[in-house]
Amino acid sequence: MKIISLNKGVGALWYTLIFGLYFCCTPALANKVLRQNQSLLQQIQIRGSITDGNNPLPGVTISVKGKLTTAISDYNGQYTIAASPDDTLVFSFMGFKTVLIHIDGQKTINIQLKEDATTLKEVLVNTGYYSVKESERTGSIAKITAAAIEKQPVTNVLAVMQGRMAGVNITQTTGVPGGGFDIQIRGKNSLRTDGNNPLYIIDGMPYASENVGNTLLSSTILSAAGINPLNGINPSDIENIEILKDADATAIYGSRGANGVVLITTKKGKSGKTTFTLNAYSGTGKVTRTLNLMNTPQYLEMRREAFANDGFTQYPDWAYDINGTWDQNRYTNWQKELIGGTALTQNIETAVSGGTSNTQFLIRGTRFKETTVFPGNFAYGKTALHFNINHIADNNKFSISLSGNYVADKNNLLGTDLTREASVLSPNAPELYDPNGNLNWENSTWDNPLRLLEEKYLAKTNNLTASSAIGYKIMPGLEVKTTLGYTDNRLEESKKSPSTVYNPAWGLNSSASYFLLNQAKKQSWSIEPQLTYQQEVGLGTFKILAGATFQEQTREQQALYASGFSSNSLLTNIASAAHIAILNNDNSTYRYNAVFGRVNYNLQQKYILNLTGRRDGSSRFGADKHFANFGAVGAAWLFGKEDFISKAIPCLSFGKLRASYGTTGNDQIGDYQFLNTYSSSGISYQGITGLQPTRLYNPDFSWETNKKLEVALETGFLKDRVLLSTAYYSNCSSNQLVGIPLPSTTGFTSIQANLNATVENTGWELELRTVNFQNRQFKWSTMANATIARNKLIAFPGIAASTYANQYEIGQPLDIRKVYHFTGINPQTGIYQFEDYNHDGAITAPEDRQNIVHTNPNFFGGLQNSLTYKNWQLDFLFQFVTQLGINFNYTGVLPGVGNNQPVAVLDRWQQPGDTSAFQQYTAGFNNDAVNAFYNYSSSDAVFTDASFIRLKNLSISYTLPDSWSKIGRCRLYLQGQNLLTITRFKGPDPENQSQGSLPPLRVLTMGIQLNF
Amino acid sequence: MKFIRNNFINIVEILWLISFFITLTIFFSSCESFVDVDVPDSQLTGESVFQDKATAEAALVNIYGRFRNNVLVTGDLNGLSILLGSYGDELAYYSNGSLPEEAFFKNNLLPSNTTVTGTWNDSYNLVFAANAVLEGVDRSTGISQNDKNQLKGEALFVRSYIHFYLLNLFGEIPYITSTAYQVNAKAKKWSQEILYPLLITDLKTAETLLPANYIGGERVRPNRTVAEAFLARVQLYASNWEAAETTSNLIINNTATYALEDDLDKVFLKNSASTLWQLKPQGDGQNTLEGQNFIFASGPPPNRALTVDLSNAFETGDQRKNHWIGTVSDGTQNWYYPNKYKQNNNTGSSAEYSILFRLEEVYLIRAEARAQQGNSTGAKEDLNKIRNRAGLANTTANTKQEILEAILQERRVELFTEQGQRWFDLKRSGQSNYVLSAIKPGWNPTDLLWPLPETELLLNSNLLPQNPGY
Repeated sequence: MKIISLNKGVGALWYTLIFGLYFCCTPALANKVLRQNQSLLQQIQIRGSITDGNNPLPGVTISVKGKLTTAISDYNGQYTIAASPDDTLVFSFMGFKTVLIHIDGQKTINIQLKEDATTLKEVLVNTGYYSVKESERTGSIAKITAAAIEKQPVTNVLAVMQGRMAGVNITQTTGVPGGGFDIQIRGKNSLRTDGNNPLYIIDGMPYASENVGNTLLSSTILSAAGINPLNGINPSDIENIEILKDADATAIYGSRGANGVVLITTKKGKSGKTTFTLNAYSGTGKVTRTLNLMNTPQYLEMRREAFANDGFTQYPDWAYDINGTWDQNRYTNWQKELIGGTALTQNIETAVSGGTSNTQFLIRGTRFKETTVFPGNFAYGKTALHFNINHIADNNKFSISLSGNYVADKNNLLGTDLTREASVLSPNAPELYDPNGNLNWENSTWDNPLRLLEEKYLAKTNNLTASSAIGYKIMPGLEVKTTLGYTDNRLEESKKSPSTVYNPAWGLNSSASYFLLNQAKKQSWSIEPQLTYQQEVGLGTFKILAGATFQEQTREQQALYASGFSSNSLLTNIASAAHIAILNNDNSTYRYNAVFGRVNYNLQQKYILNLTGRRDGSSRFGADKHFANFGAVGAAWLFGKEDFISKAIPCLSFGKLRASYGTTGNDQIGDYQFLNTYSSSGISYQGITGLQPTRLYNPDFSWETNKKLEVALETGFLKDRVLLSTAYYSNCSSNQLVGIPLPSTTGFTSIQANLNATVENTGWELELRTVNFQNRQFKWSTMANATIARNKLIAFPGIAASTYANQYEIGQPLDIRKVYHFTGINPQTGIYQFEDYNHDGAITAPEDRQNIVHTNPNFFGGLQNSLTYKNWQLDFLFQFVTQLGINFNYTGVLPGVGNNQPVAVLDRWQQPGDTSAFQQYTAGFNNDAVNAFYNYSSSDAVFTDASFIRLKNLSISYTLPDSWSKIGRCRLYLQGQNLLTITRFKGPDPENQSQGSLPPLRVLTMGIQLNF
Repeated sequence: MKFIRNNFINIVEILWLISFFITLTIFFSSCESFVDVDVPDSQLTGESVFQDKATAEAALVNIYGRFRNNVLVTGDLNGLSILLGSYGDELAYYSNGSLPEEAFFKNNLLPSNTTVTGTWNDSYNLVFAANAVLEGVDRSTGISQNDKNQLKGEALFVRSYIHFYLLNLFGEIPYITSTAYQVNAKAKKWSQEILYPLLITDLKTAETLLPANYIGGERVRPNRTVAEAFLARVQLYASNWEAAETTSNLIINNTATYALEDDLDKVFLKNSASTLWQLKPQGDGQNTLEGQNFIFASGPPPNRALTVDLSNAFETGDQRKNHWIGTVSDGTQNWYYPNKYKQNNNTGSSAEYSILFRLEEVYLIRAEARAQQGNSTGAKEDLNKIRNRAGLANTTANTKQEILEAILQERRVELFTEQGQRWFDLKRSGQSNYVLSAIKPGWNPTDLLWPLPETELLLNSNLLPQNPGY
């Protein structure tokens, strides 16, 4: 295949040069085009205002029929356009019926547009490489727009989608700002926990979403996931988010499409009068839920009983809480003290936009700041700049656009999440501060939780995403286009741990202090030349797309550990460290190369066939496994347009049946996994920096494949006032690429290999949109979505002999836990009992961990209502999830040791004959009770209903009447997030189900938006 | 005119289109090479590591760095000095946080205990590293025979050293001698009767391969003498008394290199003459993790302290109690901590390294081996060497049983909080139950062995059954 081999490193530059040359000559071409459209008739200026009956309508496109002239109405609904007295003006606006008016010599044309429910389905949907009309799409695509995003006071792009899309399950893992969200689009396809992330594309450019954070620095504050790589995206700069779900939509993304594709399109400039926008809000946040913990008398009663049960007549020296060392009457609500604070949120955005019909621009700036609910002075700040320029040449052939997003993020936090300490500290633990205002260590009898405030975590992210599209229409129907993209993502994380975090009794000085620094840089470029061709054939239209992708991503990362400081005040200055150890210094290159295409045939706008395919090459596989092919076929039948149907069902205004089938792949395994290598361990000995084997290696693994099938029925009734979409999908993932767990006697705990296992995800997705009521003043519409998802391991040859034997079960979901079956408390001994599956008289793993518990959410969705009355608008979204979750018994500590417990634990066994929920207390010396407790933590007793209904979002806004604000428009609003949670969950929050991570916050904000 | 211009445009456009496709062709033809990437400069391929002595050595000494920082014999929280000190009768637990040693102190280990699992996993990870050195060096064409011998000798030593600890902690274990994961994933476990001869064979090979001198001058990497000292210990544990004695002779007779320090305060300094093998800190000025983790300045102890039992075990006049034990008092109560290492902060240049083998132990090995063979005089001679140095009079023990008990007691006060020596002594002398059931509320007779990690049993059924009591 190597006809011409270009030098690899310089190759990229070379291609760019070639393309650069192309486009250098295109403006020249553009100039030579004749100005054929000049009218002989004299142009006049037409003015007017556009309303919806009540309010002015900004953003309406006014064009002159048959000509290129267009204009856009401003924020007061005013427009001006040049046209001949004989021309016809076309007023079009999304969601409203298009109106044509013959000028007929008039100079002022005022007009009222009527809302049109049917146009919803005429909206163009972006599928990445091409766009289709909503009504004509053959694939499964969910979409949300800026209108919904702007109603939510959140900073993470995943947060804005929660509860709003069928088939998309998003979970917030921590309430600490800058922390984690998990997303699953149509279930878990891969056995690898980190192999289920979708592909993120921002304005055509893949966004490297893999985490380059170092969990050594961040796991104690931001949970196991570390710093969220999506922080580099500013939600308020987003115009649309489209999620591609089925094979028809994702196969064109080939190897990266298995887990769905999240397409993010940022805001664009609009022509018309230059407009300024100012939007500011501020508000407060508190944790959603906390545990109901014991007070001091209840706690001390538990402790005394525990020691009595263990046969102690005298309390040990170290049992400070009950042996008299600590005040027996003190009580502190540690949850209130440590995580009960109020986080303040502030956000301000400004934007300028405008332009002519040829050139438009937009510049937006955002500044966001959020403090934490922890004590101390900590905050997360985000500054974002977004710009966009679009230009189309006079000849309407050459076009160019440039978009850029720059986000600077600064997350200044304490070193450790205090949530766990808050739930386990003894309620009679001592004062936080001594009378002199210093940390109180109470003579070394406790570890003051505020010591953790001494450690500081700081993360700075700088993210640049720039993309450009250059297009040229060669002849009618034939267009070439190249998209060029560049991203630069930098992360600098540091953790400062001064010796003051330790008890002074250790006598440590600043030589025990340390400073951890992690610096990472991800850069990528991509070039995607594309050719589209459109041709009428017979009664239909052929659309063809062909293109190629070249992408390179480089990553550099260095983490270092500095210690031996002469003073704690020099802790962030590496030069002051006596010892610097490089923990890791990694760099990697990922190259990706593909050709892709699409053939679409649309017959009479009734029968549509869509073929897509991609051939992918990835550097993540060994030399023999570089390339693979992916493809899909999709078809749609708009039966609503068939005469016999519309006669039979007159109320049916729209009807479409669509289906798709195809394959996608997954290459999310990290770079160089196929190589046998040694890497630097960061450990130095005798002046030699150590090398360690990186992994067990397997050069022969290859792509994971995912076959997707979907059938959907989309219907509209009563002139599309009711739109219902029902989809069934069935996805099969095989050739699973996993780190197969190995016993540690192999030296490692896993090896990367393909596993001949198949995972099936099936489900039903329902989406319903209704306009419940509509007149001039009042409009009420509802959007609902619901998903029933099933996940199943359908094949796994040799599972019994494999290392997965105790983790998975054929016919069961991947999210299962094999646990002991809790059978109650022995009324005689007061100890937990479990089912002895193998009847050997002992409760042992794995033999007796045979009870299967399903933890994946199987039914979830959202219900949104929008009500508009005159100048008022009210939106609210309820999110619901049904699932089993881990309750407080899972990570809970042994009832009876020196940690606090939920009040429910008071219901314990005390004497023979008692029936209770919890076994007898023990201070940790009753082996039977301790073992039973740990078995209990691994039993079905820790799984309880974690279903919830949550008022996810509420937004009320009021637009000041025009008479009040002459120059522009003014809108006042109130927004809330996670306002109300209805659940029976026994634990802090049913969403993150963790006692170690901060629950999500309940946020309430007030704001104002000005346009002029 | 207009016609020509229009056609001209079409020609340009067609040319444009043609060149576009030519470029696309170039793109696709270079696909294969485009997705070939070089090994990143932060990694080396397995082959190249062993083509060069310097990188091969870096692969080997990384194991010592891990011992020092965080595996098995480390002075850190997950090392045997603290874990076994707490599991047995040396250390008392004071923290109300949850430190790794809490479950050990309460003798409440579970098969899912992360510290137990971590000890197992990290140990076998280092065994893999040692085996990779052995295999890599064997295949290497770029390293001289002398250097090969030295590297292989050290790797063999390390491999048996780790297995020795594992077998004494867990009982029956697999003996891993290659990097072949397909084989090692199904590894079978072996009894002591099979394991000790394997260990001894490896050690004897190491002894012949290792040089007599220390690489780099300082005693921070095992040489032939260290292999011999360890062999003596293994022979003692395996009850090969005669072999234990003859191997000890080799070291004790090497008086030119090794001698007991008369000054007790110098025994744990980095240049101590009695040291056979110690672990060098990462940076100059740093000292030991033992010092950092044992020393505290005010009472009650923040985390751990010596048990009252141990501080009472010293005979009156024993200078080790004054020199090797630190005392903290709040006016009414005293607490004690191990103070063999005296530095818990950095010093201008490092003063102390963590010691893994010292001559005193070899004397005590020989004393025990001699006593077991009925040589009371020889045994007492060795024992008295250690006693006299501590300021104590000669032992009064006479019968074989008395002498063995005196040696056990001497080992307790000489080797306390050193990589679990005391715990292993209690275990092999059969006294664990007698001693510990009296003072530890959570003690069970089956606690002699740690549980095999639950994850291992789930992944490799050849390791079943679990140790008794778990």
